[in-house]
Amino acid sequence: MAPLLETHALRREFGALVAVADVSMQVEQGTLHSIIGPNGAGKTTFFNLLNGTLKPTSGRVLFKGQEITHLPVHRTAHLGIGRSFQITNIFPNLSVFENIRLAAQALGSDNFKLFRPFHRFKTYIERAEAVVDLVGLSAQADQPARILPHGAQRKLELGMILAPDPELLLLDEPTAGMASEQVPELIALIQNIQQKGNKTIMLVEHNMNVVMNVSDKITVMNYGQVLAEGAPQEIADNEAVQTAYLGELYSPE
Amino acid sequence: MTKSTFSLSNSLGLLALLLIMIALPFAIALFDGQSPAAVLGSETGSAKFIQGLLIEVFILAIYALSYDLVLGVTGLLSFGHAMFFAVGAYWTGIAFKSLGWGVGVTLLALVAAAVVQALLFGVVLARVKGITFALVTLGLASVFHIIIQATEFSTYTGADVGLQGVVVPEWIDTVDQRFRFYVIALLATFGFYLLYRRFVDSPTGRVCVAIRENEERALALGYNTFYFKLIALLLASITAAFAGFLHTVHQPIVSPNVASLGFTVAALLMILIGGVGTLSGAILGAAVFRLLEYYLERWFGPSASFLLGLIYIGLVFFLPYGIIGTWHISGFRLKGVTWLLERGRSQN
Repeated sequence: MAPLLETHALRREFGALVAVADVSMQVEQGTLHSIIGPNGAGKTTFFNLLNGTLKPTSGRVLFKGQEITHLPVHRTAHLGIGRSFQITNIFPNLSVFENIRLAAQALGSDNFKLFRPFHRFKTYIERAEAVVDLVGLSAQADQPARILPHGAQRKLELGMILAPDPELLLLDEPTAGMASEQVPELIALIQNIQQKGNKTIMLVEHNMNVVMNVSDKITVMNYGQVLAEGAPQEIADNEAVQTAYLGELYSPE
Repeated sequence: MTKSTFSLSNSLGLLALLLIMIALPFAIALFDGQSPAAVLGSETGSAKFIQGLLIEVFILAIYALSYDLVLGVTGLLSFGHAMFFAVGAYWTGIAFKSLGWGVGVTLLALVAAAVVQALLFGVVLARVKGITFALVTLGLASVFHIIIQATEFSTYTGADVGLQGVVVPEWIDTVDQRFRFYVIALLATFGFYLLYRRFVDSPTGRVCVAIRENEERALALGYNTFYFKLIALLLASITAAFAGFLHTVHQPIVSPNVASLGFTVAALLMILIGGVGTLSGAILGAAVFRLLEYYLERWFGPSASFLLGLIYIGLVFFLPYGIIGTWHISGFRLKGVTWLLERGRSQN
């Protein structure tokens, strides 16, 4: 089967800095594919190239065999690529429910109904109710998003990416800044979504125990290049990876 | 979770307010010892005068509403908003005076002109954001301000003296038909207010609010934010042009001041007084703005502007979210001013 997403020699330069250096990668349908690497390895830039936030200097991105290299971000969202952010990126003064409802409405065909009340559009209301429930924020649904504690904002971020039901989820450090005891709950949620919904997930994550446990495949990046790629055990055993990155963070024993 | 801003008590309250406003001139006439029926004829006295003052409030309210849609709801900082009003005012004057057109054709052409200028602002919108957008719109409006004062076009615009001697069709002549025009302006204000409420409550309006909150996120969700901002500008442009139309009919002269930066700042002041992003605050702000200005001048003469300044400083100090905004602050519906302040900070 053809991969869901593939990149061919994808490259992005910022002046003299090569943030992503000719990365070719294939992401198989229905897998959880993690990208790890030291800070500044180019992981977030790579995500920005995949969903059109940034334009690549050269190279190509294919989604379901279709060229999406130069599509802007609002177009890739419509193709089924959802993206969450490392730094919480929400509508701070709108309610939790409205944040998710807006995410659900985004890919529908009712965005230009100028004079009909939004609550008549039951599809988005029901979808938002289901997603608020799924990410466990029902109790806070009417609160403004900005007053939520950080952990709950991460859940909201996840809810906003789930609401339009994308095929491919790009999760950029979903557990960033969360208290360690909250991490397993969120990871269980992500795994649950992937397995039940047969989603494809690309995950950038620094918590190696999480990465080793949940990933089907891991790509290690360093200085914008792919250092190694393989199943979790292969990566854990790889000496180059141990030296460059894992040494201090994870040992298979 | 899914509450609408339209409730029965809300609608009844608005209807009651509308009826009170219609009854007001009769009540004043009665209080003055005149026959209430005199209101319907070409009466004189304080009932007529207060109707005139309130018509000015209504016109400013419609204008402030349109600015609130752009700045308060969608988060676009435009410093060229006066041009939207001035195009309507001048166009109406020229259509009546130089072209001899009727009200219907004039209004149709007015909508067309409003659409064209919104598209012009849209060209800017597609390229720049934030404070740059503010400066480019300021530039556009300044060019317009200079053009209408240019002596080359003085047969049409009256140059720096302004457009004078506009002949208004008899049936809406505000001297003979003051009550009729009062009701027209009153209904227009209510109409635009309800239309805007409805818009802000629609899927499209909700996206405009999302753009104000976090445009980058709205894009990442899949909204092509440009079109939503353009729709807000189009709606505001048509609305402000209509306010300009009422202004010309009422006065019936047009001063070049309505195209100045000062008149944009007036709109900003009105929505700051009432509460940014609240819509009803724009109307209340316009009333406070015009009535304070008038009565302070009447009571204190030349020192009025000093007192006005003090009052505005006090308002901003004690009601930082505006009158309606501070009233609602227990909820979180009102975020206009914090947003404005935060945005100012983040751009420094």
